[in-house]
Amino acid sequence: MRKTRPALVAAAACVFAVTACSTTEPEAAGGGGSGDVETGNGVTDSAITVGVLTDLSGPFAAGAAVQVTEFQAYWDQVNADGGICDRDVEMQVQDHAYDPQKAVSLYRSMSSDIVALQQVLGGPTSAAVLPLAQQESVYVGGVGWASTALQYENNQLPGASYSIQGANAIDYLVDELGLSEGDSVGVVYFVGDYGSDALAGAEHAAAERGLTIVPQEITPAVTDLSAQASALVQEGVQAVVLGAAPAQLASLVGVLSSQGADVPVIGMNPTFNPALLDTPAAEALLANTYSITSVAPYASDAPGVQEANALYTEADPDGALGWEVPLAYGQAQLLRTALEDACEAGDLTPEGVVAALGNASDVDTDGVFPDGLDYTQVGESPTRTVFVSKVSDTAEAGLELLDTYEGPSAQSYTFG
Amino acid sequence: MSYFLTQVLNGLSFGLVLSLIAAGFAIVFTSTGVLNFAHGSVVLLGAYLVAVTHPTIGFWAAVLVGVVGAAVVGVLVNALLVRNLADPNPGTAAILMLGVDILLLTELTRRIGNRVLPLGAPWGADVVRFGGIALPAGRVLAAGVAVVVFAGLWFLFARTRLGIGMRAAAADGPTASLMGIRLSRTGATGWALAGVLAALAGVFLTSFPSPGVAPPVALSAFLAIPAWVLGGFDSVPGAVLGGLVIGLVTALTVGYESELHVLGGGFGEVVPYLVMIVVLLVRPQGLLGSKEAVRV
Amino acid sequence: MSELPRRIAGLVLLLVAVALPLVLEDFWLQLGLFVMATMIGAVGLTLLVGVAGQLSLGHAAFAAIGAYVYVWATSESEPTLAGAGLPAVVGLVLAVAVAALVGFVFSPVASRLRGIYLGLATLGLVFLVRHLLLNLDPWTGGFNGRSVEPFTLGGFSFSNRDPDYLAVAGVELEGLHRLWYLFLVLTLLACWLAANLRSSRTGRAWANLRDSETAAAAMGIGVARYKAAAFVVSSGYAGLAGALLALAYGRLAPDVFTLTVSVDFLVMIVIGGLGSVGGAMVGALFVTALPLVLTQYSDALPFMAAPGSGGLDPATTSRLLYGLAIIAVLVFLRGGLAGASRRLTGRRAASGAPDDTPRPTTPIAPGHEAGDRTSESKETAR
Repeated sequence: MRKTRPALVAAAACVFAVTACSTTEPEAAGGGGSGDVETGNGVTDSAITVGVLTDLSGPFAAGAAVQVTEFQAYWDQVNADGGICDRDVEMQVQDHAYDPQKAVSLYRSMSSDIVALQQVLGGPTSAAVLPLAQQESVYVGGVGWASTALQYENNQLPGASYSIQGANAIDYLVDELGLSEGDSVGVVYFVGDYGSDALAGAEHAAAERGLTIVPQEITPAVTDLSAQASALVQEGVQAVVLGAAPAQLASLVGVLSSQGADVPVIGMNPTFNPALLDTPAAEALLANTYSITSVAPYASDAPGVQEANALYTEADPDGALGWEVPLAYGQAQLLRTALEDACEAGDLTPEGVVAALGNASDVDTDGVFPDGLDYTQVGESPTRTVFVSKVSDTAEAGLELLDTYEGPSAQSYTFG
Repeated sequence: MSYFLTQVLNGLSFGLVLSLIAAGFAIVFTSTGVLNFAHGSVVLLGAYLVAVTHPTIGFWAAVLVGVVGAAVVGVLVNALLVRNLADPNPGTAAILMLGVDILLLTELTRRIGNRVLPLGAPWGADVVRFGGIALPAGRVLAAGVAVVVFAGLWFLFARTRLGIGMRAAAADGPTASLMGIRLSRTGATGWALAGVLAALAGVFLTSFPSPGVAPPVALSAFLAIPAWVLGGFDSVPGAVLGGLVIGLVTALTVGYESELHVLGGGFGEVVPYLVMIVVLLVRPQGLLGSKEAVRV
Repeated sequence: MSELPRRIAGLVLLLVAVALPLVLEDFWLQLGLFVMATMIGAVGLTLLVGVAGQLSLGHAAFAAIGAYVYVWATSESEPTLAGAGLPAVVGLVLAVAVAALVGFVFSPVASRLRGIYLGLATLGLVFLVRHLLLNLDPWTGGFNGRSVEPFTLGGFSFSNRDPDYLAVAGVELEGLHRLWYLFLVLTLLACWLAANLRSSRTGRAWANLRDSETAAAAMGIGVARYKAAAFVVSSGYAGLAGALLALAYGRLAPDVFTLTVSVDFLVMIVIGGLGSVGGAMVGALFVTALPLVLTQYSDALPFMAAPGSGGLDPATTSRLLYGLAIIAVLVFLRGGLAGASRRLTGRRAASGAPDDTPRPTTPIAPGHEAGDRTSESKETAR
């Protein structure tokens, strides 16, 4: 075997060399499509295919499944109402299991069959897919709220970025929850495009408002935050901002309360889960815990959210309730807007959809996201307004909407 | 000072829970020579069984179900898979356990979903206070249980026929076998014990200050690996010591992170592994492990 | 006697590998890139674990070092990110060299430890390197990572540009196709080298070390030196694999090199059959491709619940099948996939080829000399 290999390589080179090579491109076939709308990948005369790359068997499987159900319900309804551009919208769902390698391969497998990606769920996975999709000009939605995704013109960020959420959290503490100059605030966060981004926003706001930040970095494996909470109490923090997951929120709030530290805790978008209200930390959570989200909570009475909830309950009567429901609905609305705009502009190709997204300067979603989302500025958050909710055992899905809010430091935050 | 003491107690009480897991690694390794990559899933399995059965049969009976369930799974995996390996050696056994881990973890993740299952522990979020220091009641109980369990293990290994047989089998399997010790029985006992320890650790890992049963609990096994290695591969007392050291070092690193910031953010995450590498360099057999016979 | 069929089989395989890109879709091309990159890593690891008998769970750390060195070397310097702006080939060489160098620096630890002790010490490396990747922002870009420049060779770019259009037999060769051939050449080279190394003087010394360090020392083999050499070579392979993974992704972030990657490398070589270069290659194919193909085609399986309905959905099923496949190979196939195929083709009987040096028994047993001996005697009895 060994001795034969060099010979084989040489033989292969010869085969390769004698094969007809060419570097002149044949005449490009005219853009396909019928009527006056130009079409490309993922669009036939009767159907528009959008892709969903999500996590159905990894750590975020359950929340991801809620979103897939809601996407499907939304597009079914759109199709029942006549579809988009006289075509039905179909979804191609693939599971990347939160593995970037799978995400990239599956993206390759679907990229020629889809006109846009409804969702690429997860930080590392979307970070791997976004640059590829940018090269091929494919619209990518639903990658979460990391500022790092803002640099891609093909990315649709659903609401305010994590950094804007973090800055708003500090502003809200000062303006509404009675903190003042000189106070210190703990920030407990996952290192990465989520937690670190929230920390960056909080640090900016703290500098603006004269507060001190006490950062505590953790990993998802840490679900007992005793040591972190003790350290924050020792530093005398007057509030804590959390850029982590539900398990960390419950532990942190519980330990703080057991140590007699009655301080407000504000969680970023993904930190709250209604199931936490069944845990021993429920009482502590109800006392003084807030959530800042880019999407309206389930209990919002905005028409868009009500519509989203109704669709979801019909599609899956036993499904888990949470902010994923309005989020998925809102993202589908955004993609629908882009598809319709592209259709109107006569260019329903992937490039056309990205262009339509880039021209959307004032998108309203019936209260699912803050009104007036602006996607014309690449690198900027489409909005600086967030939703502030308080943990409540009377509101559906555990979050009672207090207000939409846009603080001064969130306005002055610069990306880059 | 009271802050320092708080962090020390935080660290030691968490460390004892790690010790329970680390001791499970050590017992399986000494009794059958297997690096049990599925240990974390067994921890999760034990806690999951408690969480789903406690509403109907009560917490203490549920703990019994969890402990027995985890032990049975361990024994079955050993009897059906490990003993039937085509190439019985520690390398293939470790990878086999990885396959088992994938099966267990995938199925448990599917069943748990994005819920956080409350464990229903009667101590809830209670706190024990003494001298200005507040400790979660669950952790105090964990410390008590760990002490009792480790005393029991010591008695088993030092005083009972079965335990002495297990030690003999670990020291020299074929010879022990020739002397009438049934390796299948010592192996099964080892796996069962490890399952019991894992389930107990699972109960304490998922009750306050942790919120409940969620898939990341399985990752806790990776925190226990440095504890196990540090103590010595074949030593249960070593696992206890290792757990305490890792718990303490981690809590202090986290507690004084603001003073340690030159080392980079999140240093608490790597410090167990650093301690492990350093100890292995100075004492390759670990703190309390038996010295390898061969030295070149 | 068995040489001719074997040559023919090799030639056919090679021709298939050369011709495949002309018919494959992007999914399969991308998959092929990942498979070839991990093959190189797995072959390097099997030299260390299977041939030299030193367990390593730190392979992903060395791959990460290779990947980041490659990207640093080939990127132009920016205000926030350092880069050397070197040619891609130099970057590749540097990636291998630096990874090997780090392996060399770590080798004193390796020569003090054996078996499972060493394996778990190297496990610490994965976490340590991850910590550095996250904190050395000016070089690594922190958690954001950094983008990877396309590989270029004398003006020819292995991307969709330069030349913008290139076709062979009417099939346009895009970036993925071009990378396929680059990866194919490097993989063949790496495997050919590994096979030679394995049957060389060094390889035989490694095998002696694996079987008994004491005996090896008695025969005059410099134990520490050869152990260090094994670590250096395997780290170099990991470095190359990392650089290729970077090219296959087009973007690098610390999340690409998790502990799972290290463990996966180990799964590849054990499933393939420890110590066999061909086995490592087959193992890499199995571990990298199977989960992806299962995911891609699991919708075709009957009786599947819809995603999110709480039933047994395709994604969960593919993961369960993957776990079952690992268990089945280990329980039913002696010598892993390589061993099984050897028996299948009856090549073991026609022994004499240098590939058939006795397979390693157990690299992972410090306190288990006893277990070793039993399995070893089984081995020789066969």
